[in-house]
Amino acid sequence: MITLSNISFKWHKKALSNTLNIPYLSINKGEHVFLHGPSGCGKSTLLSLLAGINSPTSGELTILGKSLQMLTKAKRDAFRADNIGYIFQNFNLLPYLTPIENVVLGCQFSTSRKRNALKHASSLEQQAAHLLNALGLDTNLHYSNAADLSIGQQQRVAAARAFIGSPAIIIADEPTSALDTDNRQHFINLLFEQAKNSNSTLVFVSHDNSLQPLFNRSINLVTLQDKL
Amino acid sequence: MILAKLAFKSLLNRRASVCLTLLTIAISVMLLLSIERIRLDAKSSFSNTISGTDLIVGARTGDIQLLLSSVFRIGHANNGISWESYNYIKNQRGVKWTIPISLGDSHKGNAVLGTSPDYFTYYRYAKKQNLRFVAGQAFKHINDVVLGNEVATKLGYKLGDSIVISHGMGNTSFHHHKDNPFTVVGILAPTGTPVDKTLHIPLGAIDLIHASHSRHASSAHDEHDEHDEHDEHDEHDEHDEHDEHDEHDEHDEHDEHDEQNNALIGQPKQITAFLMGFNSPLYTLQMRRNINQYKPEALLAIMPAVTLKELWEMLTIVEKVLLLFSAVVVLISLLGMLTTLLANLNQRRRELAILRSVGAKPWHIFTLMSIESLFITLLGCIVGCIWFYVLMLTSATYLQTHAGISINITSLSYYELTLIAIIMGSGFIIGLIPATRAYFYSLTDGMSIKV
Repeated sequence: MITLSNISFKWHKKALSNTLNIPYLSINKGEHVFLHGPSGCGKSTLLSLLAGINSPTSGELTILGKSLQMLTKAKRDAFRADNIGYIFQNFNLLPYLTPIENVVLGCQFSTSRKRNALKHASSLEQQAAHLLNALGLDTNLHYSNAADLSIGQQQRVAAARAFIGSPAIIIADEPTSALDTDNRQHFINLLFEQAKNSNSTLVFVSHDNSLQPLFNRSINLVTLQDKL
Repeated sequence: MILAKLAFKSLLNRRASVCLTLLTIAISVMLLLSIERIRLDAKSSFSNTISGTDLIVGARTGDIQLLLSSVFRIGHANNGISWESYNYIKNQRGVKWTIPISLGDSHKGNAVLGTSPDYFTYYRYAKKQNLRFVAGQAFKHINDVVLGNEVATKLGYKLGDSIVISHGMGNTSFHHHKDNPFTVVGILAPTGTPVDKTLHIPLGAIDLIHASHSRHASSAHDEHDEHDEHDEHDEHDEHDEHDEHDEHDEHDEHDEHDEQNNALIGQPKQITAFLMGFNSPLYTLQMRRNINQYKPEALLAIMPAVTLKELWEMLTIVEKVLLLFSAVVVLISLLGMLTTLLANLNQRRRELAILRSVGAKPWHIFTLMSIESLFITLLGCIVGCIWFYVLMLTSATYLQTHAGISINITSLSYYELTLIAIIMGSGFIIGLIPATRAYFYSLTDGMSIKV
């Protein structure tokens, strides 16, 4: 599903040391992976490689059978639009769009996700509303102002946007760091449920080790790189 | 499509700053269009002042000075032309018509023009249009006056009213010719030229009001020998109840008409200037040379079309400065848009990252930002055009009455559309600056949120 072998990455060609150095990592389809490590260990860098924003300096990165470093920038953008749902730490929403519009935005740049979304509903808005309800956002908030939502509610909208059109991989970059403990657990359970429903692989990144027991697999990025 | 929708919603979200930007662009567009329209219409009003006249002849002075005093009633002609010279030139071969004019008196700040009845037949303005009467007719008696349209409307005169003429120009003239009140017999249709602000009286009346206190000093004239070519006036064949003509029963109708004209023209010592038309334009240059070399008196003949053009060229510096100012205003408004877009851009880096995360390419980001600036400029231009028309509609009458500029409320000309296209183009190019920055932000930031 996701395979990294001998991956190294430098921000600048002349930088002395690698920002990231991963000998081997493989994530299987449908796995819920907890990726953790302290700040500065290369989590964000790894995510930018997985999302196809950056290309590894050396090594091989294969996602869904495609060698990502072989693709052009534009192809990687299209690949991300088709296959990856992304949840940010916070401030996930475009403030000028309603929650529904924010969710629909998730498949605006990909025809395959649009097609997938329409398999389950007659319109994109209907599918967005369905996902928002499943993630526990009340119907009366669906057309409210995105900026008026609480952070917890905003993260649910962000999750719905990541899941719409059932992308193969969901990447969540510390999506719960702004939530309190109760909400955190609840939100992660909702993520699991949706990931199961859409049969997506979930890569969850956090520096908070207390979440580790919830996941069936956890990877420490520091030890992963130490193996070199 | 999705980008246009995003751009629109994003602008709507920032409507306060967007509205201000839009406002400045709209105002600058309105200003530019108005200045250009007024400039062009002023130019055409200006060159429409007189037409169909081949030569204007006056005492020797500057070309432009003669034009200003004879046509625009601006300034004074210090010297006149002697009546003998006028009669000599008038009888040259090829001369179709002449209109003698005598200026120098005023009525409540409006110029008083002494002339012959030919004025109403041969004077042309704009595209060779004749003067028309909205009420009454040309003067037939020595104490008749024909008013320009603006004089009549502004001072509220109707047919039959009595008017007193002052000596000299201006409102504050103390010397009123109270002995000789004039009766309004005709009101001309508006022309958009100085004719509107002029009172027309018979040439003979000018001397009369100055020369003597006797109203009937000019009632008897002995020599009519030089008035042998008024055959064009055959239509004035019913003058039966004119009291001055009671003692001329022995004349036939044609003679009676001549007699009446003679009474109206009188025997002035000199006139200010006269207008001439020829049977063929070929005579113009020859006649002009002859007049300029006329021995007995220092005379000057000008071709009004040529001198109008010279005069307008003197004014081009003013119009260029106006154009420059409005162009600078447009530039400032576009720079204002640039400032606003750039200032917002930093706050919007998060927005760009979100768009990137859902698969937007940097190229999409660039397009999105360009659409925004294009949309602001487009809307600014549209609003500016609407305001321009509102302004023109509301100020057309004011400009007509106060500046003599007749504004044409027409659709946008090719020239004006070009101006708008230039503004749109500059707006688009200026909008490329924030778009390019956003493009590079989205490349370097990727999906890491930097704010």
